[in-house]
Amino acid sequence: MSGSATRDRRESFGDDGGARARILARVTRATTLRDRLRHPGRLESPAPPDPAATFVKRFTSQGGEVATPDPDRSPRDWLTSFLEGLGDDVTTIAIGADVPTRLQPRSPDVPPADAGTAREESPGQLHYLIAPAVSRNSVEPMRHVAPAAQAAVGVSLAWGAVAETGSLILPSTGTRAVQLLPPVHIVWVPADRVFARLEDALIELQPRLPAGVGLHSGPSKSADIGQTVVTGVHGPGRSIAVLEG
Amino acid sequence: MSARIGDYATRSREAIRNHPEVRTAVTGATVAFDEKRRRAYGEVDADLWRRWAEAVKNHLLTHLGDYLVEAEARLEANGAHVHWARGADEAREIVLELASRHSVRSVVKGKSMLTEEVELNPALERAGIEVYETDLGEYILQLLDEPPSHIVGPAIHKTLEQVQRLFADRLETDPGGDPDELARAARGVLRDAFINADMGITGGNFLVAETGTVALIENEGNIRLTTSLPRVHVALVGIEKLLPRMSDLAGFLQLTSRAATGQSIGCFVSLVQGPAAAPGDDGPEEVHVILVDNGRTDVLVHEHAWEALRCVRCGACLNTCPVYRQTGGHAYGWVYSGPIGSVLDPGLLGLHEAMPLPFASSLCGACFDACPVRIPIPELLLAWREEAQQQGLTPWKERAALAGLANVATRPPLYRLAGRVGTRLGAARAARKLPMLGDWSNDRSLPSPSPRTFRQLWREGIK
Repeated sequence: MSGSATRDRRESFGDDGGARARILARVTRATTLRDRLRHPGRLESPAPPDPAATFVKRFTSQGGEVATPDPDRSPRDWLTSFLEGLGDDVTTIAIGADVPTRLQPRSPDVPPADAGTAREESPGQLHYLIAPAVSRNSVEPMRHVAPAAQAAVGVSLAWGAVAETGSLILPSTGTRAVQLLPPVHIVWVPADRVFARLEDALIELQPRLPAGVGLHSGPSKSADIGQTVVTGVHGPGRSIAVLEG
Repeated sequence: MSARIGDYATRSREAIRNHPEVRTAVTGATVAFDEKRRRAYGEVDADLWRRWAEAVKNHLLTHLGDYLVEAEARLEANGAHVHWARGADEAREIVLELASRHSVRSVVKGKSMLTEEVELNPALERAGIEVYETDLGEYILQLLDEPPSHIVGPAIHKTLEQVQRLFADRLETDPGGDPDELARAARGVLRDAFINADMGITGGNFLVAETGTVALIENEGNIRLTTSLPRVHVALVGIEKLLPRMSDLAGFLQLTSRAATGQSIGCFVSLVQGPAAAPGDDGPEEVHVILVDNGRTDVLVHEHAWEALRCVRCGACLNTCPVYRQTGGHAYGWVYSGPIGSVLDPGLLGLHEAMPLPFASSLCGACFDACPVRIPIPELLLAWREEAQQQGLTPWKERAALAGLANVATRPPLYRLAGRVGTRLGAARAARKLPMLGDWSNDRSLPSPSPRTFRQLWREGIK
């Protein structure tokens, strides 16, 4: 066995110019020491039979909730009454930049197209904060973080969902602060994009990967204090998926 | 945290004698983790998954140079910046330079063992930067100025009562507050930190070469926030953390989650490709990935230890280990504790620095059965022990005892005599007088010896 006992790690101090070449040279030398081993190909794991049903089962078993829209009403009418049903203290809703108008809640006073504005209204009445549909680079930095931090509910659009792991796939073309800061997160899921396996979803997503993707597989939780599970530690404490279409 | 492994035995004894609550808390938590892991393995063809994952990582490690270059090219194409760091000092310098360039005053961090390894937090603090550990367990330890004691559950050695006292003192919570109230208090402090931080720093569970994707698994949402809200995201990734393809990531995310916490996948996974560059894309303005060696290439050239580089840091071997369960991680004296620490630390730090960790095991083999990438930990422990023996790093008593044994065993008349003395005196009493065996038998009952030696029995014909 070769000994590495005496090497002083501090010898590596120096300008960063050499680091890449040195590391790659050492790695290359190491790979000449043994046979090059082959990639085993894809992991063969069975696909769950009914993706939508499996997603609902998995997501709820992980603490997520699934709400079913009323087929006789428009999605936005259904969402408006669903939000009203969440309680009188739920007055501020943050809506992701990529949520289309037909999936935004209705408000008689604030037209949803009025992006980025918040309006004080009488208590008990919903008002909406719509994240600006542009990247932070070109707007005031805190503009969409601050409203989402005040909101009781965030509404997002998922790119898809995964049955195998009970996951929502949330792209950064939505608004990250809306996906993460409000204590309740309502997520529209296109019903025709519930993938059986995680691998299927990632391969489908691969050619159009945005800067960031979040897989949300239930509410935020932690057992770091006395091994007792608590929810809503940093992210949403309630995660509600709504299959649409 | 700087390595101080040498007095492992002293620290273990102290932990067991003076802090019985640590043993109770650690055993409780690890037994629960281990049961969840077993149940989660039972739901899939775990043997097939583990063999697959082992083969993917073996392929990766025997083609590592190619994949590092591919990952770098992909990340740069995505608009991210790639840095290389040979040692801890270079990794720290790169982060400090970035912090200075962006006038960073406040940093939020996701849990990262690599940043512990390179001692990043003290360096940032010395530069006048406020650092917030945002994983709840890490936050507790930061308030206490303690290092993590477990790869996945950094504060499992702390009891509810200890956290109640700490938070009552520092966050003015009710001294009898339940975990919900305590978590809410921490959330309040950290929520402000997230919104005001100039930089987010994380590790990386995986880096997919094919797409330049840094993947991070967690349950609280703090890593999602750390990689989403601040202007700049810096990820420190060990060079062994690569995966060839996106399709590999799907398997590794699930297998790692099952091994670590028994979940089918962590509550949150962040897939970071780069900064938000395209119109309508939301996220940090800059993403930097630091590829860190810090001893990994030493492990890669090692005849046996290279297999430990398959490690995905799930902590399954800690949870199942009867030795780790007695003391928790602090006794081990460095970032990586338990069975994986005992085989990885000698490679990363040098065997001399990591003594006597390869001996801190009963070789029961439970760690191998739990390991999602089938690292042959018991075999690697033996290989390190052999190397320690060859380098003269084992205690003199042990060397003397083994030399004595060799002397006796290679001289038949002497061996016969020793056998007879042993049976007359009683092996239990004899053992207590012998070097090394004396220590061993202090805490154990030896079986009573046969009144006749094996050779006598053999001559008489064993019935």
